[in-house]
Amino acid sequence: MFAFKYKREGAYTEERKERTEHLPIEEAPVPDLLIFPLAMHIGKPAEAIVEVGDKVKMGQLIGKKDGFISANIHSSVSGKVTDIKEAATMHGIGTCIFIENDHKDTPAAPLFQGEAPTDKQARIKLIEDAGIVGMGGATFPTNVKLSPPPGKTIDTLIINGAECEAYSTSDHRVMIEYADELVKGIQILLDLYPIKYTYVAIESNVHDSIEALEAAIGDDSRIKIKELETIYPQGAEKRLIKNLVDREVPSGGLPADVHALVSNVSTIRQVYQTIAYGTPLMSRVTTLTGEPVKNPKNLLVRIGTPIQTLIDACDGFQSKPGKMLHGGPMMGKPINSGQIPITKGSTIITFLPKEEVVADERTPCIKCAECLNVCPVSLQPILISNAYEQGDIDEAERLGAMDCIDCGNCSFICPSNIPLLENIRKAKGEIKARKENK
Amino acid sequence: MKLNTAELSTTASPHLFSRRKSDWIMQQVIIALVFPTIAATYFFGFRVLLMVLVGVVSSVFFEYAYQKYRNIPSTISDYSAVVTGMLIGLSLPVTAPLWTIVIGTAFAILIIKQLPGGIGRNALNPAVAARVMLKVFFTPWITDWVTPGADAVSTATPLEYIGHFSKSVSAEVPNLMQLFFGFELGGNVGETSKFAIILGLIYLVVRGIINFKIPLLYVVTVAVVTGLYSSFDLTYMMTHVLSGTLIFAATYMATDYSSGPLTPDGKTLFAIGLGVLTALFRILFNFPGGVGFAILIMNALTPVIDRYLAPRIYGHKKRPKVLKTT
Ligand code: SF4
Ligand code: SF4
Repeated sequence: MFAFKYKREGAYTEERKERTEHLPIEEAPVPDLLIFPLAMHIGKPAEAIVEVGDKVKMGQLIGKKDGFISANIHSSVSGKVTDIKEAATMHGIGTCIFIENDHKDTPAAPLFQGEAPTDKQARIKLIEDAGIVGMGGATFPTNVKLSPPPGKTIDTLIINGAECEAYSTSDHRVMIEYADELVKGIQILLDLYPIKYTYVAIESNVHDSIEALEAAIGDDSRIKIKELETIYPQGAEKRLIKNLVDREVPSGGLPADVHALVSNVSTIRQVYQTIAYGTPLMSRVTTLTGEPVKNPKNLLVRIGTPIQTLIDACDGFQSKPGKMLHGGPMMGKPINSGQIPITKGSTIITFLPKEEVVADERTPCIKCAECLNVCPVSLQPILISNAYEQGDIDEAERLGAMDCIDCGNCSFICPSNIPLLENIRKAKGEIKARKENK
Repeated sequence: MKLNTAELSTTASPHLFSRRKSDWIMQQVIIALVFPTIAATYFFGFRVLLMVLVGVVSSVFFEYAYQKYRNIPSTISDYSAVVTGMLIGLSLPVTAPLWTIVIGTAFAILIIKQLPGGIGRNALNPAVAARVMLKVFFTPWITDWVTPGADAVSTATPLEYIGHFSKSVSAEVPNLMQLFFGFELGGNVGETSKFAIILGLIYLVVRGIINFKIPLLYVVTVAVVTGLYSSFDLTYMMTHVLSGTLIFAATYMATDYSSGPLTPDGKTLFAIGLGVLTALFRILFNFPGGVGFAILIMNALTPVIDRYLAPRIYGHKKRPKVLKTT
């Protein structure tokens, strides 16, 4: 409770995990029509390589990666391509491939025949072919992460199981129910890289996953479980690296700059599935929850399933939802269509009750310094916000606006309801725009 | 129930907010001030309540009237004017005429707080500024040092007993127990019982309202400096720590948000600076109110402190170069 070090670099946000944390993963119903956005990862959208009318098999490549930072997309069902058109996705309107499900699940050939390749480059290629991206939400292509630029060696592997957002339980369930596959996935990476430190980072509020992992790790002394304080944003990549190995990713840099590789638990499990069986990324565990949801669940969902299918699987609502979020309440994106499909980065769909969606009136800043205390990267949010409101973009930049990781803590904590993150985002937008114009 | 997408809000993240609002924070400070108020009433009688009431009513009135006159949104509902009023009521001796309280609150609210732009904008702590102003200009009315009791008599303050440049404590000084609990002690009503103030301090720390570092470092620094001066004469040090308004000001005034630094390192330097200045004023000059001057000086230095002690941002080697601190 009492800490002399008053700067917490995080906030004790509410957890609200109790409705789903003990529910086993269930297979979600597979709908008649699935929607595959070509942009379901960071970077360039994939290129459609099927045409309307084509028959596709389950696991067949339908979108081909386009460029270095891009990723393959595979059909998660067998059936027929009925449309390729613009539609609502998690990231705004974008081109999507619509596939009518024949409910036969006729499989396509796996990514390799016979034995899996053992060579490092071939394995990374396999991960690339499988369309694996960061499944914790960042959706950065995993093969790119695994191929750091020459000179940047990796000695630390951090498996991110610190699910710090409120309501989120999908990674927690993955760690419990797929502990063996997760550990095997870690071992695959350990065989590829000369890694000195391997940590599975878990928040201290989830003891059952620690037990499951300990059992799966057995006597492999290379893998260590690290229990971390339950504080938001504990799972932020930069904070994890700092808290586990006391290194700071340089401003504007990548974890590889400090020899670290951080990967989400679901991603590692997918790596195992791909290397062991040659299956591409076709499904993931997504939690659908929030007070308004009647029977919230942890669901094993085929990529491309519209949210409405999951809402039906959870028996609809028991009270009026006021917000639907792709992600949790701190960083989630608000969405407003049930036709938006689950994609590779969909960890959780959160529904907030109507009563909680209120905009409290802004009052003057009382200089309580709480926004500084909770900022995980030690910014002074109120000063950046003030600089932006005064039109002083140079000052906002000097104050480190570009280092903000969008965690939302400052706006969350501010007792005067000042839209700090909103202003910081706008400042970032202007700084970027100015750089591009130069 | 079906999903009605037309009813969904799409404002950007974050989507949850802490329930601690500014008015709630100020209410906590008011609760913490109830402890010394009760103690003062016990020692000095019901006139203390009248003083506090006059302070609160006049503070709120001046804030309301100013904002009405300037035609700007009223901020009396944030309770910060109530806090200022209570502090001023508690920082005067029980003999202070009520009109001095009204003058103090007018000065605090109108000149110190509202003129620079209201809550969060004032560079100086309104209550401290008012108290120093009253000390300087209204001395005959407010510095009679009264020991409680039926036949109240004016006495010298404990610090006057110590005297400047003296390195030890004469026998006439009230003993440490008296100083701590406030028995048979003169002084400004709120600061009499250190025990009651410490209860208020604990409340504020447990509620997470104030940064414990500030009162702690402030008081420890005073102890260390007076210790260095007296070759660590424990009675001398503790008499300084427990005398006068130090503990009261360290708890309720040095921790004021508006007039103190924003940055964590700034808070550390601020508190140490307060301790050094307070101890020096007490040792070097023979005037009461060293604490008040120390706070005002450190308040004035706050923008510079914040500017040079801006926190080092994650992933950077040096502290950012900041030009503005508000
Ligand atoms: S949103 Fe940005 S500025 Fe605000 S607390 Fe998080 S990192 Fe700091
Ligand atoms: S949290 Fe809000 S009120 Fe407190 S210093 Fe930051 S902006 Fe000001």
